[in-house]
Order: sequence, then C-alpha cells, then structure tokens
Amino acid sequence: METAIPVTAPGTGQEEKTDTKNLPDRGYLVICWNDPVNLMDYVTHVFQSVFRWPKARAEQHMLQVHHAGKSLLVRETFEKAEHYVHQLHGYGLHATMEKEE
Amino acid sequence: MKFLRPTKELRAASHLVFQITPTEKAVLLTTLKLFPVLDSAHHQLSKSDSAVRPSEQHLLEESMAQQQSAHQRKLSQFFRAEKQFFRAERGELRLSLSPAQLEWLLQVLNDIRVGSWVQLGCPELESMRRELARENPVAFTAMETSGYFQMVLLEACKGDEPA
Repeated sequence: METAIPVTAPGTGQEEKTDTKNLPDRGYLVICWNDPVNLMDYVTHVFQSVFRWPKARAEQHMLQVHHAGKSLLVRETFEKAEHYVHQLHGYGLHATMEKEE
Repeated sequence: MKFLRPTKELRAASHLVFQITPTEKAVLLTTLKLFPVLDSAHHQLSKSDSAVRPSEQHLLEESMAQQQSAHQRKLSQFFRAEKQFFRAERGELRLSLSPAQLEWLLQVLNDIRVGSWVQLGCPELESMRRELARENPVAFTAMETSGYFQMVLLEACKGDEPA
C-alpha cells in the first residue's frame, strides 16, 4: 500500500482564493484506504450514498483507492469529517480522518 | 439470484424484485444468520493519535455497536416476514425488497464479508483463495457467499443517481 497522499485528488484540487478569516477550520481530511475485500461496485455505491456524488465522481474516487491505495474524499471541519468517517465505517469501508499538515 | 427489471406496478410501489431459487434462499438466510461478524473494536477513526482523542475513538466504536444492534433488530423482522419471499405466477420464487431494505441488507452482507475476511487474517485474496478455503472453510464460504449476494443487490442500484 502506498503511503503518500496523492498530490491531486479528484474534486479536491485548487480552490478559489477567499477571505478565510471567518471560515470554520476545514483542516480535516477524510481518506478512504484500499483493502482487497470490499467490492469495487460496493465502494462506488457507498460514495454515492454518503456524499450524494454522481456515479462518475464516485467511480473516480473508487478507482483512486484501488490503484493508489487511498483517496482523499473531502476536506472538512472536525465534526463533519467525524460524521463522514462514522458513515463510511457503518458501510464497512476503511476510512480515517487526518489533520491536514 | 437475479435482479428483475421493474414492471410499471412495481416501479410505482418502488419495490425491487429478485428471482431466487430455493437453494439460494436457504444460503442467503444461513449467511445472514452469521451477522454480526465484524468486531466494533475493528473500526479505527484515525491513523494518527494526534488527530483524535480516545473518547472520539470510543464514540465510533459505540456508534458501530449501536448500528449492529439496529441491523440485528431489522434482521429478526426480515426472518419473520415471509412476505419478502413470494411465488410468481409460474410458481418461481421471488424476493422483494424496498430500497431501504436493500441498503441495510448491503451493509449487513458487507459486515459478514469484511468480518470473515478479518477472521481469515486480512489476506490478499487473489493469490490465496485455495489455501484460505482449506484453512478456514466457514469464514471463506461466508465471505464469498456474502460477496455474491452483494453483487446481485448492487445490480439493482445501477443507474441510480443521487437527486
């Protein structure tokens, strides 16, 4: 399994410059890790259900998990990241939240 | 087991119907009776100790244990409600699920699949199937049969786009 976070993850690329003074701290990354047991179609289905993503985007992240060993799914506040990780674990996926360096 | 494309009436009732043989029904029910397999302590909130506190890790484990209890209650109802299974006009057996039932059944089957895989020692699967089947046939069979039923259920989800 690879250990480095991919430089560019689907849907999490460069963001527009905004006034960040009053924004909540979205410094938590929700990452899904590869394992050999979860079915590819199932992982796509879970991403669609949890994040309400269209199939193409869900598949893109599923393939990144499969090929790169992991995929950065969203960058969120602590509470939201925790909520998503709970949901992903509820579906049996190997997901964690990590503080952005 | 096979997903049957919905007729107009079934689409209106938003039921998903599967063709299933009596043997498949027996295997499905036997597999579901294994639930829960995955230990709630298996779930890990973060790989880094600094990202979360122990209380937050505990909260995740508690939440997973609660979810397993809720799934168990629904499963008991599922085993009692024989109307899930019915005979079609020509006598063939059918399984009918609501979208919500399909969703939790997928989660339950995945718990059995992942839990059985953990019991097998979290192996790489492609190269080791024969050895695993010999070493722990019960866990191996549970993992494979739950995966089979998941694949059939996922057929019914294809084409679904979130609103």
